[in-house]
Order: sequence, then C-alpha cells, then structure tokens
Amino acid sequence: MPAKPEESVSEEKKTINRREFLNFAWLASLGFLTVSLGGVTYLFAMPRFKEGEFGGVVPVGPASDLPTTDAPPENFAKVKFWLTNTDAGVLALYKVCTHLGCLYNWNSQENKFICPCHGSQFDKNGNYIAGPAPRSLDRFAIQAVDPTTGEVVAEAANGDPLPVPDNPDVLIQVDTGKKINGQQHA
Amino acid sequence: MNKTLDLQDMRKKIGGMVDNRVRIITAGLGLNELRAILRGDPPTEKPNPRYRVHTTSFLFHIRPRYYEKGATIFANTFRLGFFTAFFFFVELFTGLILMIYYTPSPDQAYNSILNLLSNVPFGKMLRDIHRLGAEAMVIFTFLHMLRTYLTGSYKKERSFTWFTGVFLLGITLFLSFSGYLLPWDQLAYWAVTIGTSMAEAAPLFGQQANLILRGAPDIGAGGLLRFYLMHVVLLPLAAILVISIHYYKVSREHGISLPPRYEEGDLSPEKKKEVKQRLDFIPDLFTHEMFLTALGLFLLIAGTVFFGYAAPLEHIANPQVTPLDTEAPWYFWWLQGMLKLGDKTLMGIIIPTVIVLLLFAIPYIDRNPFRSLYKRPIAVGVGIFAVITLIVLSYMGLPHYGIQTPAATRIIQDLAPEEGVGPLRAIPFEQLQTGVYEVGAEVPRDLCPNLDYGCPALTSVFKEFSERVTYAATNDKLPDYKRLPNARAVMVIEDWQQDLKKVTLRITWDDPATGEAKVYEKQYFLHRERERG
Repeated sequence: MPAKPEESVSEEKKTINRREFLNFAWLASLGFLTVSLGGVTYLFAMPRFKEGEFGGVVPVGPASDLPTTDAPPENFAKVKFWLTNTDAGVLALYKVCTHLGCLYNWNSQENKFICPCHGSQFDKNGNYIAGPAPRSLDRFAIQAVDPTTGEVVAEAANGDPLPVPDNPDVLIQVDTGKKINGQQHA
Repeated sequence: MNKTLDLQDMRKKIGGMVDNRVRIITAGLGLNELRAILRGDPPTEKPNPRYRVHTTSFLFHIRPRYYEKGATIFANTFRLGFFTAFFFFVELFTGLILMIYYTPSPDQAYNSILNLLSNVPFGKMLRDIHRLGAEAMVIFTFLHMLRTYLTGSYKKERSFTWFTGVFLLGITLFLSFSGYLLPWDQLAYWAVTIGTSMAEAAPLFGQQANLILRGAPDIGAGGLLRFYLMHVVLLPLAAILVISIHYYKVSREHGISLPPRYEEGDLSPEKKKEVKQRLDFIPDLFTHEMFLTALGLFLLIAGTVFFGYAAPLEHIANPQVTPLDTEAPWYFWWLQGMLKLGDKTLMGIIIPTVIVLLLFAIPYIDRNPFRSLYKRPIAVGVGIFAVITLIVLSYMGLPHYGIQTPAATRIIQDLAPEEGVGPLRAIPFEQLQTGVYEVGAEVPRDLCPNLDYGCPALTSVFKEFSERVTYAATNDKLPDYKRLPNARAVMVIEDWQQDLKKVTLRITWDDPATGEAKVYEKQYFLHRERERG
C-alpha cells in the first residue's frame, strides 16, 4: 500500500480554496446572526418598568397608633410589610421571605415569624433564627413626619429601627420603594 | 341470467375500486392483506407488502420493521417507554381540547377552570385525565430510566439515546411544572413563586432568568402568559423534536436491547438463535400496541371515572397570603427537601445541575462493558443508593418535616386544612349534629345515638381531635412547640342558617415557657350542598 502515505501527505498540504473560505464566511455570519438573535430575544423578553413603578410612601398613622412593644406586629397585607415595634424602635419588614419568596407569618404562640414554605424563622426584629433563608428579613426605610408642616423630623433610611418619636401626633411613613436587604448570616 | 352476471361484475368492480383506495391510504396494503394482519395470517401477496409499508408510508417509516424476539419479553421492558410516549400523546390531545375553554389571564384563568368543571360536558373528566396523564408520564419516565439503568441498556451504541433521554426527563418535568400555574389557584401561584425564586438563586444570570420567567418582579398577567406559552408551544415542540431523535435511534439503529442474560449468559446456540429471531412490526408489534393503547386509555378513564382521581383546584390565587403547608408537586418534593437543608444557590441550583450533568455522563463514566446486574455491583449499588436518597429527600420535602408549626395550629390544620378538603369538611351534612363536644376523658363509640344511622364520620374526626390534643397535653417530653400543657379543647357545632352549620374548633392551653394562657380557634361554615371532595 504505497498510495496511502502519499494521500495523507497531500491532504495535509491542502490549503483553503475560495469555496471553502466563502462557506466558512457564510457559517460565521450565520453564527453571528444566531448570537444576535439570542440577544434580541433576551432584550425582547425582558420586562420593562418605569422608575418608581414599584413601591411608594405608605402612611401608617400617628405614632400613638403604633403597636406597643409587647404586642404582635401589625400586618400591612396590601403593601406587603409587617410593622413591628421593639425597644429599639419601629421597623417595617418586607413580607417576602428572603429564602424563596413566600409570605411569612407572625406566630404569636412562639413570638417569631415562620415561613410556611420551607420553615425559615425570624425574630421580631427580622433577624434570622433558623431555617434555610440566607439572610435576615429585608426592611423598608421609615420616616417620621410632622403632621402640620409635612417636614421629616426623623428618618431611618438605612433600615435601622426608628426610635418612636415623643410627640404622639407625628405621622409615621414607610417608603416601600427603598428596600434594604437583611444581613447575611454566617 | 344476464342480470346476475351484471351484478357479479359490478361487485367485482366496486370491490376493486375500494381495494385500490385502501391501498392508496395504507400505502400498499389491500383489504385482504389488512384482514390477514388482524387475523395473524401470513402475508397474502409476494413480495411481502408489509415490509414495503415501512418505506412508502411516513408514519410507518419511523416505526421499526422488527424487534428481536428476546427484546420483546414483557419483563425486559415492562413497556415503560411505550407508555411514556403514550401518555405524551394523551397529553397532546387532551391539552389541545382543554385549550378551547382556557384564557391565560389572571382575571379569567380561574373562572375558565370553574366553567370547565361545572358547565362543560366532560370538562372535568378531560381535565382529570390531563392531570393524571401528566403524573403518569412523570412516573413512567422515571421508571423507564431506572429500567434502562438497571439493565445497562445505556452502553455502547445506546449512549447517545440515553443522552437524549435525560433531556426528555427535564422536558417532562418542566412541562408538568409549567402546566401547574395555569389554573391560577393558590397551589399554582405559590408553587411557581418558589420555582421562579429558585431560578433567581442561580449565580450570574439568576435575577435576569427570574424576571424573564415572571415577566415582572411578581407573577402576574405577564408571568401567566409566559408560562402558558411555554406549556403549550415551546416545551411540546422541544419534546416532539427530542422524542423523535430518541425514538429514531431505537427504531432504526439499535433496537430494544436484549435482556442481559441472553447477551452475556451461557446459552445454547439454538436459544441464542431463537432470541434473535425477528418479530415483525406488522402484524405482531402493531397489534400488541393496539392492545396496550386500549389498556392505557381504559386505565386513564377508569382512574378518573371509577376510582375518583380528581385534579385539585384550590382557592383563587391570592398574592397577599401564602397558605399554610405550601408544598411543591410530589415529583419535586426531593428538591423542596434539599432546599430545607441549606443555601438555596447550592441546594436549588448547583447540586441539581451537577446531578443532571452526572445523569448525562453516566454512559461515559461507566466503562464496565457488562450489562448483567451481577457483573456491575458498583453501578447497581449507586442506583439503589440514588433511589433511596430520592425517597428520603422527598420525605423531607413534606410540610411535616422541618417546619415548626405549633401544636394547636398543626392539629386544626390537619383536620380542616386551609386549602383542600380534609376530614372535617368531608363529614356528610346529616352527621353534623349540633352540640358542644368537649375533649375529655373518653370518646363514646358514637357521638349521636339519636340519629338513625349515627355519625361515624363526625365521631372519627372528634376522636382524632381529642386524641391529638390529649397527646400534646400529657406528653411533656415533646419539644415546646409541640406541647399543649393543661389543654382544654372543644368542638362546637351550631345551626347557623337553613342548610348551613357553623363548626368551631378551639384549643386553650398554657404556654410552656411563660405559663400564659393561649387560645387558638378556627371557624368553618359548612353548607348542605358543598363540595365534599
């Protein structure tokens, strides 16, 4: 079989001819088109929303109406947060579990929040106790506003508890547009 | 004389015409030949027209010409692959019909299901069959895969077929899951919220994947439409494509594998020859498939009509309340169990991805050339381990595992769940004898001796209530949240309106930690005409 080695040698020597080059060019452009179609589909399917479409300032009433520090948290179902009052101050906890998006509930028998889906538990401050959740509960920014002038008298923009103002007429507002993620636990 | 001749002539002519038409439709099989096929007779013409059909007819060219006799033994395949495909076609047909009455918008989706259940002839049955078929398809896909694994049928020339099969497993699961949202009830809404939140846990592209699936930060009109389109267009098309590839390999390239003992065992040459004999598709396999199809349809209809299988429908989706005991569909319990164990990115995305990659790679990891169970101890061990793990993880996915529901809530939820029926609502209206039933020393054999037929259902519900409260009250070794020290419990049944009774379940106890008195109470209004599940 003397012909075989010759053949393989000649195969190696084959250079790209015009037809092969053009075919590669078509293939490459089709590949590019496919990738761009992928990008177009992605941009097409991605939902768009306007600035500030989600969330807004929710008045929760005067400071005198807040739940007492030993009372269970108050449920604001429509705007999805729990208003809790602790010794450190008032907190608005985003009602969606940081695990997989279920709405957790206050369990008055055990004095903690328990999620019905996968059993994550949080204390009254929204701090992580147990379960698969990766972080403590998310919080909304809270403001205290003077009822007559509309002036902000106290603010907890970073999600810290807002100490209850001394003046009982001061209006408490929750800004559900400003969500502060809870702390990752170790 | 002339007249009779004419008639015979006519009959022949008409017969010939009919025969010709039939040959055109069947791509070459005449009337006599069809009859011979159904009778199991040998071919009536030469060359054998039954083979020709496989080249002239599209539908028959994708079917095999023959299988080896040994491969068709029932215990070799249990017809699992056939039934998986069968259920897929059942889903296509029932799904197509159900689409007539379905509108994929949050305003109308739930109503269209109610309308289907109460207003459309056979609507409930079709929906039940669609659901039963979907669950059966998941079961059969899994069993088919397990069988293939245990008989080592993924090796050598069949490795690519296995590869496409893993794709089909994924498509089947996504098909079932995407159909879940469509009724727009609580079950649907929260299961899909959890599912899409899991997508969000994926590293790098998680947030984008979640938004694209949901169509907005929360599931709403956009999300429902997207899931609907996935369920009725994208995934079925993908399934048809991959099933075609999967099946073509089996029918045209390597056939169904012989049982390992025939391939590897010490067999006499005659026996080896016998198992390799060809069993033609027409007539043997074809008629067998007709039988299996009839059997499958019978079982589906019997399951829904006679055995009471019913697709569940909970309350309309409420984005503001997650019901207690929200759980994934049973074929995802293992995933729900894993999610309770740890980090969602690890448990919900990374480990499942690794499992799927391992499944894909099985033929390339397992280089053992043998197929018999006895010659593959490691592979069989791994298989059994995997199945046991799956079962244990599924158990951990149940709402009773790992979620600390306090005793009082748990007991009342089990008797009358927030979603679904439960034993309390299943009590016939006539048995709801008004009265105050206090949990105490002993439960009488029948709570209502004055009723003609007694009230066994009410008594058994009260008995369960009573036993569980007593257990939680007297057992102080239980964890605190399961205890009810000094519990007093009562079930009150009142006449509320005509044909309407009010049932109250109330438990009072002292908090184990503080000693403070606590009450948990729930009320139910039960109407005479209510649905009892």
